[in-house]
Amino acid sequence: MSNECRHARIAIGGEPHALPPEVSAHLATCAECRRFHAETVSLDGRVRAALELPLTSFRKATPAPARRFAMAASVALALVVAGGFWLWSPRSALASEVIEHVGHEAGSWGAQEVLSGPALAAVLQKAGVQFDASMPVVYAMPCTFRGRVSPHLVVQTANGPMTVMLLAHQKIAAREEFSEHGYRGVLLPAGEGSVAVLTRDGEVPDAVAAQVVSGVRW
Amino acid sequence: MNPRPRGTTVASPFARLLEMLRPDLVRFAFWLARDRAVAEDVVQETLIRAWKSREELKDQAAARPWLFTIVRREHARLYERKRLPTVDVEQVEALGDPALATDGDAGLDDLRRAILQLPDEYREPLVMQVLGGLTTAEIAAELGLTQPAVLTRLFRARNRLRVIYGLAPAEDAE
Repeated sequence: MSNECRHARIAIGGEPHALPPEVSAHLATCAECRRFHAETVSLDGRVRAALELPLTSFRKATPAPARRFAMAASVALALVVAGGFWLWSPRSALASEVIEHVGHEAGSWGAQEVLSGPALAAVLQKAGVQFDASMPVVYAMPCTFRGRVSPHLVVQTANGPMTVMLLAHQKIAAREEFSEHGYRGVLLPAGEGSVAVLTRDGEVPDAVAAQVVSGVRW
Repeated sequence: MNPRPRGTTVASPFARLLEMLRPDLVRFAFWLARDRAVAEDVVQETLIRAWKSREELKDQAAARPWLFTIVRREHARLYERKRLPTVDVEQVEALGDPALATDGDAGLDDLRRAILQLPDEYREPLVMQVLGGLTTAEIAAELGLTQPAVLTRLFRARNRLRVIYGLAPAEDAE
């Protein structure tokens, strides 16, 4: 292996998503290092998924008796100090991230024009997802969520616009309702993944949630 | 804490920020401590310290690396203060720690255990980079290392994980 390749591989292994210009230039001419880079990026996606521990499992564990009181006191103190926000809500970790994501695309709620089939298909294709819920889709973006491409849609319903996120790699065990920051929504298991349906007005009707779940294919 | 009119329960933007980032702080603390209860303790201390020092955070965009560094320091402080025993990784595995549970994804399960078995000097910068989003420069500053030293540690961490992922390891003069 040349010194150039050795240098490139250390740079790739050190920070695969931000390569120095000379390493990028080397990749253009070295197929082996390009393959190494592609492998490392793929590995990194898995490492990220591995590091994102499912916090629901934390709650299932019983803390050691000796530190129960200390933990309770600590939580209580933190609640008093921070006041007004719920500090321990692993149940809503995924929900909170969905809400955060949707909050960053607040403009999506204002979309009015129904997207064409090919436009929607192009977004779904990027995520390897099929969606046919027979509801008009007025917004569709192939967003990155937890390191994966996840379609972010807004659909028109009789109850107003609702955001739908198709989360192909986020398996959840059970339906989960949430209400935060002016949004109400529900996370639903859907085969090998899950879907999130959110509204800013009222609640997500069960019929709409069921229609979304039945329309998604991974 | 800012005074708030009686009866209002609306959280401040800073409190909402803490709430939003809390899950990843707990995860980071767990990967440092390899113990759920210690991770929870560390994060509670972190939130209290962050709340007291909130005026120091001038740019909310920097909140994530700022909080991660507090977690790291609180973790070190907890061990200094309480002289906690370090966790034997074999013990964590033997307990079948539910924190490592996956939904039937054996590959991810193996990867989590492999990450747990990385030496601290490799695991810590890896988690700071991948989970915390810290730059190499930020990690170097926090760990008191040069940037090339951080890149080497990250390279070696990933090189060990490549084998678990079914890839050939890269040549290394380690």
